[in-house]
Amino acid sequence: MKRHELIIIGAGPAGLSAAIEAKKAGMDVIVFDENQRPGGQLFKQIHKFFGSKEHHAKVRGFRIGQELLKEAEDLGVKVELNSTVMGIYENKEVTVKQFGVVDHYKGDAIIIATGAAENMIPFKGWNVPGVIGAGAAQTMMNIQGVQPGSKILMVGSGNVGLVVSLQLLQAGCEVAAIIDAAPRVGGYGVHAAKVARTGVPLYMSHTVIEAKGTDRVTGAVIAEVDDHFQPIPGTEKELDVDTICIAVGLSPMSQLASNATCEMALIPQKGGNVAICDEHGETSVKGIFCAGDVAGIEEASSAMIQGRSVADYVAKTLGYLTDDEFEEKYEFHQNALGQLRQGMFAPKNKGRNDWTVTDEGFPISKSLLRNGYMTVEELENFPAFNYKKEGIHPVIECTQNIPCNPCQDACKFGCIKVGANITLLPQIDVEKKCTGCGMCVASCSGQAIFLVDDDIGDGYASVAFPYEFLPVPNVGDKGTALNRKGEPVCPAEIIKVQKASVMDKTMVVTMKVKQAFVKDARFYKAD
Amino acid sequence: MIEKRTADVIIIGGGIMGCATAYRLAKRGVDVLVLEKKEIGNGGSCRNAGGVRQSARDPKELPLAMYAVKNIWPTLGEELGVNVEYHQGGNLRLGLTESDIKVLENHTAKSTKLGLDVKMISGDEAREICPYMSKDVIAASWCATDGHANPLTTTLGFYKKALELGVTFITGVHVNEIVKVKGRARKVITDDGVYEADNILLCAGYESRRIANTVGIDAPVERQFNEVLVTEAQPKMFDVMIGVAGGEFYGHQSEHGSFVLGGNSGLQAFTSNNDNFVTNSLTAPSISRGIIKYFPVLKNCKVVRTWSGWYDQCIDVLPVIDNVKEVPGLTLGFGFSGHGFGISPAVSIALSELILDGESKTIDISQLKYDRFKPKK
Amino acid sequence: MAKVIRTANKEPFVEKPDDDMIICRCEEITKGEIRKAVYEGMRTMNEVKRFLRSGMGLCQGQTCQKLVQGIIASELKTKPSEVGMITGRAPVRPVDINTFSNNITDVKED
Repeated sequence: MKRHELIIIGAGPAGLSAAIEAKKAGMDVIVFDENQRPGGQLFKQIHKFFGSKEHHAKVRGFRIGQELLKEAEDLGVKVELNSTVMGIYENKEVTVKQFGVVDHYKGDAIIIATGAAENMIPFKGWNVPGVIGAGAAQTMMNIQGVQPGSKILMVGSGNVGLVVSLQLLQAGCEVAAIIDAAPRVGGYGVHAAKVARTGVPLYMSHTVIEAKGTDRVTGAVIAEVDDHFQPIPGTEKELDVDTICIAVGLSPMSQLASNATCEMALIPQKGGNVAICDEHGETSVKGIFCAGDVAGIEEASSAMIQGRSVADYVAKTLGYLTDDEFEEKYEFHQNALGQLRQGMFAPKNKGRNDWTVTDEGFPISKSLLRNGYMTVEELENFPAFNYKKEGIHPVIECTQNIPCNPCQDACKFGCIKVGANITLLPQIDVEKKCTGCGMCVASCSGQAIFLVDDDIGDGYASVAFPYEFLPVPNVGDKGTALNRKGEPVCPAEIIKVQKASVMDKTMVVTMKVKQAFVKDARFYKAD
Repeated sequence: MIEKRTADVIIIGGGIMGCATAYRLAKRGVDVLVLEKKEIGNGGSCRNAGGVRQSARDPKELPLAMYAVKNIWPTLGEELGVNVEYHQGGNLRLGLTESDIKVLENHTAKSTKLGLDVKMISGDEAREICPYMSKDVIAASWCATDGHANPLTTTLGFYKKALELGVTFITGVHVNEIVKVKGRARKVITDDGVYEADNILLCAGYESRRIANTVGIDAPVERQFNEVLVTEAQPKMFDVMIGVAGGEFYGHQSEHGSFVLGGNSGLQAFTSNNDNFVTNSLTAPSISRGIIKYFPVLKNCKVVRTWSGWYDQCIDVLPVIDNVKEVPGLTLGFGFSGHGFGISPAVSIALSELILDGESKTIDISQLKYDRFKPKK
Repeated sequence: MAKVIRTANKEPFVEKPDDDMIICRCEEITKGEIRKAVYEGMRTMNEVKRFLRSGMGLCQGQTCQKLVQGIIASELKTKPSEVGMITGRAPVRPVDINTFSNNITDVKED
């Protein structure tokens, strides 16, 4: 029987991070993954991540995957691909299907890092081709380069639904609407705002009740729901779509833990059926651990930290780290995790919807939660939006406490500050100068920073906004400025297009609009 | 609602024997309470390959099998209102070698003597019945009246019907002991307090011996580990129940199309002890090799799951179905040794008669007494 | 495992308009079938699975498990965490019999 000190199942963010950490500690580690390529879901994440520097904030997910892979390769971590772990047996034995045979391995410890699978909701016709998971849509677009459909209904307004909607738009698809049975947008307001300003409507308190079509989806019927999530008769509306994307959350893929006889429980805050784990990720079966989404649904950023933390603990139990060395690492990881697990969207706040003010005491935007965009009146409650400055200056429309701070490092003049608590809202130091370099605009993963000059002469103002679509606008192009809801507000002319490798494909496009529309114009549509 | 604590009959064990007997008793107007530690049918009842077989049975239990096949199975689905997926497609027991043939001939001779229509046939004749098997099969025993059914729907069907007839089931209750009152088994002590009845039927599979021991009754029954693999659905290929003289595997194709094939690795008697029904890493591969030997056509068929279970193996591989003379009020029904499913509908008749009439009138179970185990002379 | 007293339902089974909706796609089990099974006495994920085959198909319940848990819980007016879950079984991905039989460790080399 082949034997390794540590067997890791899954080469996604958690598994790879665990392998790197274990290898660094000097352990003999092997990673199995059933896919053709490692990285789990990271390689289809083309958006910029949140968090702070140590969480790879403002780096696109697939680049984080590349960095992780390189780190693993440099260390000589053994990752066996196309290798399906079929089961976990007594005495920490796993069977692996590889190259047409079943091989047996034993480990002193096993880390299960198998990730998650998409939830489905049943409705009439949900099994018709054309109803797909949002993750599947992402794979098609971002890995295989195929449009999942041409007109899409997105069901679910969590971060996945919002991010994938934007990516669908980037891929050239039309998103007919984003709906959610909940009365509020589930994901980050900034993600919703990015999509809303392109003109995609968000319908909260709506559910899909039927997929039309027999051989494939030819339409979707949606309806408003009451307080008990029951469709209200008479509110049905048929949307002309050919694809229905389901983004209603993930469930831990915990079958291997169950198969290994770990004690299991259905824990809604963790997203479903999970093995009961202690603070080091150890299950009820000694030596079998869980890390990442399989232990409870979170973000890839947390999964990477968890993977490292669990591997350090394994290294300690096998004598590769002293207690002191472990404690130091543990504290470091807990601190990093703690930063991510703060704010309105923290796992501990899952399901909580009674926020009325931010940590700073500013009133939460109701329109953002209901419609996906803010009104100017609501924005004016926020100092980073509502301050006077001559010449070009940043206007920040980041109004929820989410763990993210790249904006403060982006400005080399120190104009933007978040502080040690990264869930606090960015503040603007009015005294500091702004050169209009656009770095803050490009670095904001939420695309919530704009550069505004209220007076560029002749009754005009300029608004610079982040732009990640093709075709790239050219200076001199004329079109229409859109407001936060995606409605046309006034004619606009492109006066500047900034691109730089440090901006990592986020362009900063400046348009010229009449001064009267400077607070409304946030996006651009070519004529 | 006053919690039910007493009944005419308490049945310990919510497996197929318990559920079926509860149904028979309720049909005769008896007030029955079934106590089950886990879920309905969690033990061997839902962990077997569904054989309804008379051939290769010990003559001592053959009357139960013949009665069930003749009188109960053909109409059981109708009776219970569920699809028990009973198919009387016959049973082929296959041989690859001369010594296999000897084993098969031996069983065939014994069964024939008791009036069962079972015969030896050649490999080619066997392939006429089931064209998918390997040319390496040189002979088989054939019993046309054997078949198979779905143990899951049958067990839960008996349970459902018993409920309908007024039986109360209490699940999640662990029985610790049986206590006599004035010379008669009467109290059932559980971790949920005391339950009482005029008669107690003990049919708790491999847990039965421990409970019987609490009133000083013993039977040489130990739990035995076995495993099954289940494939994805395939187009209908055959309706026969398959066994092999070499013992590599047994099973059938279900109505759903999946193959349900049991077997073991040869190491199962000494498998490391666990109560979690976890499968052994070596067993499904062993069963797979067995399948390919006899049915190479199945080699690309996908296995979707494997599962395991313990059954109550008796020292002579026969059940104990009897009233206990020295503990009046106690009836035993356990030790089915891995082939109880097919006879369960008949066993339930015998058990209900033992309880209500003092003896099994319909079927001869005289060879299955609890005090039959004797030391070497 | 919590204690549960099970007796027959006294009220008749009530059909619902969405009973014909498929819940387990692999085995094509409808919501109505699951509701009926619960009505007839199946009270746990395992019992419903054994009675109907929900969760026994190619995906082994990965897609429908949560949905079925929800339906059983709602019929029994309890929480989904109270109705149990189906056990993860090896192989967690379908594997053909030939591959399964080609087992490196336990076959003696000639």
